[in-house]
Amino acid sequence: MSTLTVEQIIERVDRIPRLPSTAVRLVSVVCDPGSSITEIVDAIRFDQAVTADVLRLCNSAYFGLSRRVDSLEAATRLLGTAKILQLVMAAHTRSLLGRAQSGYGLAPGALWEHSVAVAHGSQLYARQFGLGQLGMRFTAGLLHDIGKVVLNEFVGAEYAEIVRCVSHGEVSFIEAEQSVLGLTHAEVGARLGEEWSLPEELIRCIRHHHSPDALPEPDPAVDAVHLADATCLLMGIGGGEVDGLAYRVHPDVLQRREVSQRGLESIGAEVVAEVRAVRALLAGNS
Amino acid sequence: MANLVVDIADYAVSKDPEAVLITYSLGSCIGVTIWDPVVHVAGMLHYMLPESSLSPEKAKASPAMFCDTGVPRLFRAAYELGAVKKRLVVKVAGGSQLLDENGTFNIGKRNYLALRKIFWKNGVMVDGEDVGGAISRTVRLQVGTGEVTIKTRNREVPL
Repeated sequence: MSTLTVEQIIERVDRIPRLPSTAVRLVSVVCDPGSSITEIVDAIRFDQAVTADVLRLCNSAYFGLSRRVDSLEAATRLLGTAKILQLVMAAHTRSLLGRAQSGYGLAPGALWEHSVAVAHGSQLYARQFGLGQLGMRFTAGLLHDIGKVVLNEFVGAEYAEIVRCVSHGEVSFIEAEQSVLGLTHAEVGARLGEEWSLPEELIRCIRHHHSPDALPEPDPAVDAVHLADATCLLMGIGGGEVDGLAYRVHPDVLQRREVSQRGLESIGAEVVAEVRAVRALLAGNS
Repeated sequence: MANLVVDIADYAVSKDPEAVLITYSLGSCIGVTIWDPVVHVAGMLHYMLPESSLSPEKAKASPAMFCDTGVPRLFRAAYELGAVKKRLVVKVAGGSQLLDENGTFNIGKRNYLALRKIFWKNGVMVDGEDVGGAISRTVRLQVGTGEVTIKTRNREVPL
């Protein structure tokens, strides 16, 4: 395993399902601040399954809308583009992220739930930092651990070794990954994002969600994902059994973003409520 | 055996002797178990934050999210099933932290202190606890026997 490079791993991952093309198209449209509602609708309308999903979700009790929504245009106007993106992305990454990540000791659904939690958290932190394009912040959080889906296929006996490293104490999960496998899920995820032609900004969030200080300039979008990840793992929101708390929060990030205890607690409380709502909303929709 | 899963920011009580109350991935959150050995009533709470003053609306919607609203709720629900306060066996787990604590992320410790305070005020004794560290815990409580186990990584031990 340690002799494989990221490239060799990516080459071998023909079994990894692709991110649905509708989702990829939608990400790039929403990431462009100049996009109109028509362009967003165009990115979805040719995918009947997604259109049906969006309308069904819009008309669910969760949104409590007073009248029936029967077109994508109306749905987008009523809920806003960020919400539409959230719905589509959360629903469509479920098959990809929802499988058991046995290589990582994660039960079915655990990685997806953690990803949805970090997506909401990233969006909340990003808003606190005054960032726009909240749909993109959500997506960055949703895809931050996508590399685990790939590495999971390759992590076998090495997993025990990673767990041993982490159990010994002062080593974070990603440090153990690096020392045992010679690469990390962050790097593999970023390479996968490149394969999928995701926007550069998303790839940067995936690559640096554990290493926000490795960037030449601090990036608030990356910091948002890093803090959301730490918050969710700390509180055990969709957390795994092993890497749960073996996480290093970068003190510089806390300092430059002026994260207070109260702010952190509020975001945690908000995220738990959101994850519960999304879980209920998508129940029976897998 | 029926597993009754207690989600984050939630609680459950039961007097079904076959049931097992279980809560997963306790990080900085705290799991409280109570059990009455005479009537075999069991309860479990998984709260995530110390004080409801953070958000009264959230506390109203889900009281089990906070220590100060969740703990009374858990005890009252057990009393309704016939449990008696002075007989309760009370156990506590969780309150972990991340590596490299610098204060902001020490919710685990604050959660634990909030619990000590409310127990002290109400004269509740703790019969067993497994708190702190940088680990994730899963807690099981057998309603019929009151046995509590803590699972960390691949190890499961009685508390």
